[in-house]
Amino acid sequence: MNTRRLNRRNFVRDLGLSAASLPFFAGLPSLRAGAGSSLAPGCRKQRLVIMISPNGTVPPAFWPDEEGTDFKLKTILQPLEAHRDQMLILHGLANKVRGDGDSHMRGMSCLLTGKELFPGNIQGGSHTPAGWCSGISIDQELKNFFQSREETRTRFGSLEFGVGVPDRADPWTRMVYAGPNKPVGAIDDPYQMFEKLYGQVKDKEHLGSVLDDLQTDLRKLRNLVSPEDRQLLKDHADFVRDMEMELKAADEQKLHHAAPELEPGIADSNDNIPEISRMQIDLMVNSFANDMARVATLQYTNSVGQARMRWLGINEGHHGLSHEPDENEDAQEKLIKINTWFAQQLNHLVTKLAETPEPGADGSMLDHTTIVWTNELGKGNSHTLNNIPFVLLGNGMGFNTGRSLKYDQVPHNRLWLAIAQAARHELETFGNPKFCQGGALDLVT
Amino acid sequence: MESRRLSLVLLVWLMAYSPVARAAEPSTVLSGAAIYRNQCAECHGPKGEGVEGEYDEPLYGDRTVAKLAKLIHKTMPEDEPELCVDADAERVARYIHGAFYSEEARARNRPARVELARLTAGQFEQSVASLVAGFRTNSSAVGEARGLSADYYDDRRPNRKKRRIERVDPEIRFQFGEKSPDPEKIEAEAFAIQWRGALLVETTGEYEFCVRTENGFNLYVNENSDKATIDGWVSSGELREHRTSLKLLGGHAYPIRLEYFKYKEKSASIELRWTPPGGVESVIPLSSLAPVRVAPVMVVTTPFPPDDRSMGYERGTAVSKAWHESTTAAAVEVADHVATHLEDLAGGDPRKDAEAYREAARAFSRRLVERAFRRPLSEEERGFYVDDRFEGGIKPEIAVKRVVILALTSPRFLYPELLGSGGDAHGVVSRLALGLRDTLPTEALRRVAQEGRLRDGDRDQVRSLAREMLDHPQTRLKLRGFFDHWLHLDDEHDLAKDPDLYPNFDRRTMADFRRSLNLFIDDIVWSEASDYRELLLADHLYLNGRLADFLGHGTFDDGRFRKVSFDPRARAGVLTHPYLLARFAYHRSTSPIHRGVFVTRNVLGRSLKPPPEAVQFEESRFDPDLTMREKVTEMTKAESCMSCHSMINPLGFSLEHFDAVGRFRFAEKEREIDAASEFQTHGGTAIAIRGARDVARHAATSVMAQRGFIQHLFEHLIKQPVNAYGPETLDQLHKAFVSQDYHIQNLVVEIVTLAALHQYQPTELRDHEHEKAES
Repeated sequence: MNTRRLNRRNFVRDLGLSAASLPFFAGLPSLRAGAGSSLAPGCRKQRLVIMISPNGTVPPAFWPDEEGTDFKLKTILQPLEAHRDQMLILHGLANKVRGDGDSHMRGMSCLLTGKELFPGNIQGGSHTPAGWCSGISIDQELKNFFQSREETRTRFGSLEFGVGVPDRADPWTRMVYAGPNKPVGAIDDPYQMFEKLYGQVKDKEHLGSVLDDLQTDLRKLRNLVSPEDRQLLKDHADFVRDMEMELKAADEQKLHHAAPELEPGIADSNDNIPEISRMQIDLMVNSFANDMARVATLQYTNSVGQARMRWLGINEGHHGLSHEPDENEDAQEKLIKINTWFAQQLNHLVTKLAETPEPGADGSMLDHTTIVWTNELGKGNSHTLNNIPFVLLGNGMGFNTGRSLKYDQVPHNRLWLAIAQAARHELETFGNPKFCQGGALDLVT
Repeated sequence: MESRRLSLVLLVWLMAYSPVARAAEPSTVLSGAAIYRNQCAECHGPKGEGVEGEYDEPLYGDRTVAKLAKLIHKTMPEDEPELCVDADAERVARYIHGAFYSEEARARNRPARVELARLTAGQFEQSVASLVAGFRTNSSAVGEARGLSADYYDDRRPNRKKRRIERVDPEIRFQFGEKSPDPEKIEAEAFAIQWRGALLVETTGEYEFCVRTENGFNLYVNENSDKATIDGWVSSGELREHRTSLKLLGGHAYPIRLEYFKYKEKSASIELRWTPPGGVESVIPLSSLAPVRVAPVMVVTTPFPPDDRSMGYERGTAVSKAWHESTTAAAVEVADHVATHLEDLAGGDPRKDAEAYREAARAFSRRLVERAFRRPLSEEERGFYVDDRFEGGIKPEIAVKRVVILALTSPRFLYPELLGSGGDAHGVVSRLALGLRDTLPTEALRRVAQEGRLRDGDRDQVRSLAREMLDHPQTRLKLRGFFDHWLHLDDEHDLAKDPDLYPNFDRRTMADFRRSLNLFIDDIVWSEASDYRELLLADHLYLNGRLADFLGHGTFDDGRFRKVSFDPRARAGVLTHPYLLARFAYHRSTSPIHRGVFVTRNVLGRSLKPPPEAVQFEESRFDPDLTMREKVTEMTKAESCMSCHSMINPLGFSLEHFDAVGRFRFAEKEREIDAASEFQTHGGTAIAIRGARDVARHAATSVMAQRGFIQHLFEHLIKQPVNAYGPETLDQLHKAFVSQDYHIQNLVVEIVTLAALHQYQPTELRDHEHEKAES
């Protein structure tokens, strides 16, 4: 997993200092954001979140038996009971992408892209070795669309959150693609994410805390130099004072939502996954409230991930368990527990969004967000790419929610098409066009 | 196009030169001076400084000459105002005004002084790098060995049990094809190789790295974490070039690691390439790789505004808002780096013992501030810069961040001379480090001062400290900078020539010539004799196969550079190095004026005024049958031109045997080259010049040329004017230079020693001063 590391290039870049002549903290987008959402009239703010948990689900404990508006949530989805009106459960979607790579690899790297992997040098458990995906993922597609238009542009466009994602980059650990052969890694260290979102604000605080003392220092030292040289230090002191004033001015432009206080010292380790999950969700909601991005992904571990959920009393690795046959009741029990825990995480996110009023608009943030919870496999022990779990929450895309729908192994590309079109991004196809026949799923009527 | 280029270049050229020896011109005011001497000096002093008991105020003010004349006409001399009236009054007024009365005259008369200066951008970057490096002790010395350590595995993973080969590879350029690196030990279908070591970087700038392979790899440069600089682990078997750029500081060794594997792809190959700043892409050569383990270097990436170079050398005697913002942003950047790596740098583990960790962070902070300020901290300073930041149970990482920001924005760090005026042992070692390497003193040097081992004012001890510091990449970098500056290689200049006329003078050839010039200079400077005269007189060049071929000087087929001797009548030192000859030439032809101006000012150390009018050289205006010499002669024949061109032209013509890309030629337009002229030396003697070697010989023996060289070198190293160190400083240095057979390294040692001990105060006296200041 990631150790925290310096991101100094970003610091300089995000600081907007490349010209070395701009006012020190002028033009901080994070400070502008939220001050007034620049929404064109009649244009609702829309957000997309894609959350993934790996290794397949336990179908009997996941899928409702009923179709339509009158459905009963099974064990795994029960934590989300309070939000069933904003829920859309899509049974019968299939990841139809074939070709190189094992099911886990294709399950992961073709999930958001709907397109084949390149042949390559990475060997899965079976099947031929493969490389990176040959297409862009739906979140990045939508991000590019949003960023291309003034009224939906944000500071980051998209944010990629991770929880317990390994440091290695391969088709099992990457689901986000900026383009063919261009995987995007998730940031799984909340402190690093915090640095990305609020580093400048914090640096400003540190700077502000010493500027006064720097003035004192300069004053004292000025008397030690000859009168001819004094002017140089006087000029210097003037610049320090200017900076102090600029910082004060910037301070007055408050963030819409204050930066969250992170509990310090949570190491990036397996046992801290629950804390990290919560921290990342808090950061995500906060970044949305400050309108830093309209698209986010939240990736729990990775395909074949081996999280050991000891906090649930489970000592075995997740992937290992998922290979156990259906008859192994103990394993099924544990897998249900694991998947229920993921639903609880989702519930935390959904609840937070539902409880936060949308800045500058009516309703809650959930009314402006659609979350897709998915998985790279339909079922762990069969490695099937049929019946991939897709649970949608929230009203961001204006779908007709509060329903359980059943399809007959429809390619999942058509869901991504539906989401793109709901965001007014009029794509005809997404991913491999072959899987787009029939067009976007109709989720509105 | 060509003429536009000329006029631009020429104008810029002339503007870039500031008069070096600006003589006062008393001739027009002689009689005014005489009047002053006879009638005024008795009361006002010979230079208007005043005379005690008479008129003791110095004579200065802001009256115009006319007003001054009126005043003198009416009132002076005090008892006999009729003695000096009308034209006499006007003349004496004019004299006084020009000699000492006006602000302008006062500025001129003011002796040069060592001005308070901040670190230049380069000095800031190097100082920060060594500040952080001082806490990373897990580096080994680079040593003599070159290449990278390589481990070969018979597995697609670097599985220790399957390590089959351990060796040092000279470079990373392998075409395995369908085969294994070693068919007896390793299967061809799947294998892995790990290379590791140090990357030796000479100059500062952006380096582009390129890994060319159809297989999987991770490249790590200046990175000790698992974060790959280029992640190419997943591959689809097609040959690809992965690129990224990194800023690196010259004079440092950086950790580099390349992990590579092949798995089932049809073929295997890998190349590790780079493009150094201003250079061309090539496989990273053996000379830039060492099989040793080194620690990462803190490289500040915040851009700085350029430093003032109006005096001909970079100096930090002015501050600007942009500079202050860059400094602050850089301080924050360093603070981030330090806080992120605090466990490494300070030691201790916050999870084991939080209180001990906090104390380790505090101790680290104290040491860091002391190093940044180049001297120990008093009790009070320690409280202010360090302990106050730790007040109120603030987290150690945050406290350290604030310590670093305050320390690096403090004048104590930014103005190295702030507390060093009057010099003490700490000031001496800090000046040595800045003078020789643009950085903070090393730990060893610091200890010499700390432990009181620097004997008061012992010049020989300071000399030997300086001498020990010579053989180091950072000192070499600084000297390289000097030669770039002296030879005018440091500005952006497009060397490209008309490809129809000079078809093989491509970017690679230019880059090779640049390397050849560097090798030539380094070879002389860092040899035992280190003889300045050899720079001008040597009759060899460094050539590789491509360059030898280009110059029509035999062929040898490898890329290695070797020393090749020439007929001494043909080539003479730097003057006839093709890089410089091409640098001072037009797109399609030679330029005797550019070459002549360069030799006059940079090599002979003589001053030139700007031309009375900017004249464009328009090739089309001349009879196409004329030679370049004839065109230039025609163009500069006016008397107003010849006051300077009588000096410039003969020097430029002496190099006419070399075409615009530095190749030797006997003829131009089917007429034999005429390189001969008569040349007036500074002393006024006429000497016959037949070609480059005569100019070189003259330059090697000319006192003025030598003094010019010393002055340039002094100002490059110390970043202050040489006469600020006393009017006799240049004479002293010159005398020492001559008596030591023009030894360049010794001259460097003399210069930094002199500057380091400037206004040195013996301890006793200093303590006394200190007490006085305290009370």
